[in-house]
Amino acid sequence: MDFESNYDIAATSDFIRTHNFTRVALQFPDDLLKDSTRVVAVLRKRLQSLRESDITVSGEETEIGLYVMADTAYGSCCVDEVGASHINADCVIHYGHTCFSPTTALPAFFVFGKASIGIADCVESMSQYALTNSKPIMVLFGLEYAHSTQQIRKELLESSTCKSDLKSEVHFADVPSPYMFPSKDMKKLSGIQEEACGCGNNSSSDEANGIIYNIGGLTWKLPEGQSMEDYSLFWIGQDNSAFANVVLTFNACEIVRYDATKNQMVTDLSQQRRILKRRYYLVERAKDANIVGILVGTLGVAGYLHIINQMMELITAAGKKAYTLVMGKPNPAKLANFPECDVFLYVSCAQTALLDSKEYLAPVITPFEATIAFNRGSQWTGAYVMGFGDLINLPQVQAGNQEEARFSFIRGGYVEDFENQAENVEEEREDLALANATEKALQLRDNCNTLIKGDAKSGAEFFANRTYQGLNMPEENTTPQPFVTGRKGRAAVYEDENNKH
Amino acid sequence: MVKFTADELRAIMDLKHNIRNMSVIAHVDHGKSTLTDSLVAAAGIIAQEVAGDVRMTDTRQDEAERGITIKSTGISLYYEMSDGDLKNFKGEREGNKYLINLIDSPGHVDFSSEVTAALRITDGALVVVDCVEGVCVQTETVLRQALGERIKPVLTVNKMDRCFLELQLDPEEAYLTIQRVIESANVIMATYEDPLLGDVQVYPEKGTVAFSAGLHGWAFTLTNFAKMYASKFGVDESKMMERLWGENFFDPITKKWTTKNTGSATCKRGFVQFCYDPIKQIIELCMTDQKDKLWPMLQKLKVNLKSEEKELTGKALMKRVMQSWLPASSALLEMMIFHLPSPSKAQKYRVDNLYEGPLDDPYASAIRNCDPEGPLMLYVSKMIPASDKGRFYAFGRVFSGKVSTGTKVRIMGPNYIPGEKKDLYVKSVQRTVIWMGKKQETVEDVPCGNTVAMVGLDQFITKNATLTNEKEIDAHPIRAMKFSVSPVVSVAVTCKVASEIPKLVDGLKRLAKSDPMVVCTISETGEHIVAAAGELHLEICLKDLQDDFMNGAEISISDPIVSFRETVLEKSSHIVMSKSPNRHNRLYMEARPMEEGLAQAIDDGRIGLRDDPKNRTKILSEEFSWDKDLTRKIWCFGPETTGPNMVVDTCKGVQYLNEIKDSVVTGFQSASKQGPMAGESMRGVCFEICDVVLHSDAIHRGGGQITPTARRVCYAAMLTAKPRLLEPVYLVEIQAPEHALGGIYSVLNQRRGHVVEAIQRPNTPLYNVKAHLPVIESFKFNEALRAQTGGQAFPQLVFDHWDLVPSDPLEPGTPAAARVIDIRRKKGLKEQITPLTDFEDKL
Repeated sequence: MDFESNYDIAATSDFIRTHNFTRVALQFPDDLLKDSTRVVAVLRKRLQSLRESDITVSGEETEIGLYVMADTAYGSCCVDEVGASHINADCVIHYGHTCFSPTTALPAFFVFGKASIGIADCVESMSQYALTNSKPIMVLFGLEYAHSTQQIRKELLESSTCKSDLKSEVHFADVPSPYMFPSKDMKKLSGIQEEACGCGNNSSSDEANGIIYNIGGLTWKLPEGQSMEDYSLFWIGQDNSAFANVVLTFNACEIVRYDATKNQMVTDLSQQRRILKRRYYLVERAKDANIVGILVGTLGVAGYLHIINQMMELITAAGKKAYTLVMGKPNPAKLANFPECDVFLYVSCAQTALLDSKEYLAPVITPFEATIAFNRGSQWTGAYVMGFGDLINLPQVQAGNQEEARFSFIRGGYVEDFENQAENVEEEREDLALANATEKALQLRDNCNTLIKGDAKSGAEFFANRTYQGLNMPEENTTPQPFVTGRKGRAAVYEDENNKH
Repeated sequence: MVKFTADELRAIMDLKHNIRNMSVIAHVDHGKSTLTDSLVAAAGIIAQEVAGDVRMTDTRQDEAERGITIKSTGISLYYEMSDGDLKNFKGEREGNKYLINLIDSPGHVDFSSEVTAALRITDGALVVVDCVEGVCVQTETVLRQALGERIKPVLTVNKMDRCFLELQLDPEEAYLTIQRVIESANVIMATYEDPLLGDVQVYPEKGTVAFSAGLHGWAFTLTNFAKMYASKFGVDESKMMERLWGENFFDPITKKWTTKNTGSATCKRGFVQFCYDPIKQIIELCMTDQKDKLWPMLQKLKVNLKSEEKELTGKALMKRVMQSWLPASSALLEMMIFHLPSPSKAQKYRVDNLYEGPLDDPYASAIRNCDPEGPLMLYVSKMIPASDKGRFYAFGRVFSGKVSTGTKVRIMGPNYIPGEKKDLYVKSVQRTVIWMGKKQETVEDVPCGNTVAMVGLDQFITKNATLTNEKEIDAHPIRAMKFSVSPVVSVAVTCKVASEIPKLVDGLKRLAKSDPMVVCTISETGEHIVAAAGELHLEICLKDLQDDFMNGAEISISDPIVSFRETVLEKSSHIVMSKSPNRHNRLYMEARPMEEGLAQAIDDGRIGLRDDPKNRTKILSEEFSWDKDLTRKIWCFGPETTGPNMVVDTCKGVQYLNEIKDSVVTGFQSASKQGPMAGESMRGVCFEICDVVLHSDAIHRGGGQITPTARRVCYAAMLTAKPRLLEPVYLVEIQAPEHALGGIYSVLNQRRGHVVEAIQRPNTPLYNVKAHLPVIESFKFNEALRAQTGGQAFPQLVFDHWDLVPSDPLEPGTPAAARVIDIRRKKGLKEQITPLTDFEDKL
């Protein structure tokens, strides 16, 4: 496939041109970075020629600045708005796989790339599947295959007319428009998203009757009275995070995957199904947590601030302690620096949100899971939501019944988080607080100097239990020490060290 | 027709000297429930005629169907003694009216948690032993438990009718058999010498042993007969009682007592002469319908039968005659009243065992004195499902104070720590209820010394708790119960319809509450796990879950899951090293197996981090020949900081070592919880830190760098030390006749079991077989055994120990490797064990 069409040079330049952007940031994922210089060169040439042909309109136009951004701090599927604002860009062109998370401030243009696909084979598999399936089929696809859906649709139509024994109808999701404008208006955002989560009522923007679904850039509409459970899903593309997202969100549907690189159908999705169960376990774990670390994994996705605040409120209301950490691309080693956190809450775009590995010492959950875990009375029903917008509009569960103590399946019994008992202790007057604290301190305790994870109520309490408390302050000789010259070199071997690590 | 009313009952509750709280304990099928029936009959709740057939305390349908008791059931009995009966009673009493709170407990080993719960709230125990089968495993287990709780036992030798009817034993032989039964019980009791509890052994001549036939509703103690003969011989009752047991012989011709058998044909042992023979005679007369000889005898014994009863023949007649002559209730109740302690007496010595706090605080002394005016101390030992679905009664014992309807109580859960607010609730009691078999009576309040059921607390108590008054904020809880069994068999349950998860969750919550032993948890893979003590227990629990607690939602149940352990066989082949993610820190470690018995000692809580270090040093150096210096360098135990694995620091002169201790400990905790092979917990592995190289900047040797590295190096050390799997093994005890032994052996052989011992019970055709059987092979063992032996062998399975799976799990194709793959697949891990190279780094 030729370079210009793969990188959508024409459409990109048209987009820049029509909106009169002057500073454009080009965001490449690591694996496409090698092509960046060529893309810039071709794009510049194209823009140049466009300008020349269009010279009549405005003569003294400034040069359009193109900037390549590499190594995003967060997921490479999201638009790196912070990075772009470093160069004062007024739009971002995003290359490669994307999660289509709405942006906060900058307009964005997405270039999905065009992966090759054996169309005939794909159509064959699809009609095979349709033959055996009684439910109508909804075809979803990885965005890199968006370019070929038209053709697949056409060929399928042809093959079905000649065979005409397809039992079930086949629907296709719409190819998304490749550009996006920020919706600063939260209301509008929620309006769109409300439909997306399928539980909202149809707002005025929606003329025809039906529910619009929206996931990872794909949109489609179902006629009224039907839900996704009535459909089987057919996914064209890789087994990547976008697919995992679909499997989790529509976990009640039957899903098959067509692997375009291997030209084969994958029907065994037990691994993906396991993910959902595993998430369920993590939610149960989170319920027992006392200290929650909120990991901010995005500074771009629209509504992230709102979510963080919402999560903070939720956590405090549940009587737990929250710490906010900004961390790009979390890994077990980074998170192990915060051993006091019993659970991490990862606020990021829908497709990077699922972090799970046995390597992590504490579970990492998504905001949606947190609402289940920390909201008394809300229950895991199997429904799953990934995006922020959906979450903001999630119907609020009423305060839950305080009648019953919380049952922990991790410990196999009732446990009570102590803040929920506030009503019991309100009689305890302020002036007694000190006395109580002293009394507690004077109580004879077991000589126990081990850290029992999950017992501390706050970071400070956790650190107080550690055996190593940090350097001891010298009791005497508090005069300031003289200056010393610091070390030089890399951490591996400083210049004053000569041991061979 | 109920002989007493709730009001009468309530009135006696205040007379703390006239209360007896007791449980009936025994091996399965020795006749507890049947015997209990005859006691209940005396209180008039069920008709005398059907006593022995109803099993009043088996309230559940499945209990009735299977003919075994599953849940312990409480029942309050009211009994009035005559002044004559009480003239020999030395203890304190107030009037002649007695209240007996009786708890019938299950005998099957799977339900021994129910026994534990019953023992906690009673002061005395009626130990029932089958006169033919003798003292069995479960008799021994429950007896030990009772003594551990400072429960005073009395014994009844049950199924005496078998001696007369089934076995037709020669009287002297019968005496020896009975004596052997009593002796073997005494052997167990003798090991528990407790100065506070006093001598707990039982003696027929002191009246602490009864002889009963539960099925026919009769029983006697030597007291009964002593009373009868004392006047005749002109000696006092106690003297007479001594003569009726042991080496005392009487010759009716010479009318002389001797301590040896004179050899004359008419010289017989006192017991035989005066107790056994008369009973035998009457039974024979009844069975052969020789009514002409029977009536005069009965007249002599002052037994009056109603005219319609005289029409009975055979067994029915025998039952009626014996019931009238030696009613089980009076013999047993008298024995309890005379020899079991009242709450006020028992709590004096039980308080040390019960109360966790200082023994001189007001709560301890209130318990000690059984003070109804003192602060409320109440222990909830179990939850009983109420008739309205999903709710539970909290059932327990008031140790001091009074609990009444509307009382606001502090609920201290099992994890409550005085001074903190964890696991602590304040709620009010909606209703207080006393239990009378199948029905309940609401009462205004219940004073100390009694058992009580409460409504309105079930949403805050999982299984057990200590209750006290709202204001008593400095009270410590009552010590948690210690169970003799642990949940080893588990299954995963899922609901058939995915959206019904909330129903399942709710059902599991209730299940967890309804049984003191069952544990409902969730696995790492997100499956709900129900763990129980045995296969039967699990079956009952799942049935309850599905039928009663789920509102009809269907569940599917996985195959049984058996948890394994990972251990090592040798010291690591070399010292392994792992580098931190930034490559600036290196940890060197070795793994070695712990000394034999050390893991067990840690499990038993003899060695732990919370102990006095001096004590730990002593045990380790004396029993396990550890170096004394090394014992001070134990960093931690794990998993969960108490498990049977540890990290020991053996390095010398390493800078910053104290800084990384916490991080290493954290890494080790997670590593020991999920071993490198199958992700099962480790057991009996000692990790020795040999050397550490750390970066000189604190920032580069933080938790983020050390914790994951510590975990990796633990795994690497383990993989180089010949890792092995451990599997749980049951101790199986089977009682069967000789000709069934072949079947037993073949079933055991098929299932990798091996026999430890097989002993014949003296004077019986029964054999006692003890064997070890891997838990994983034990499913459907019961059925297989029954099929092979024609239903004559009945096994009892108790978890015994962890046994090494001999083959190498790292070598493909071995049974252990297959097992590892199986576990990994279930857990959703990659089938291949992560190779050593992923954990160990090269310099």
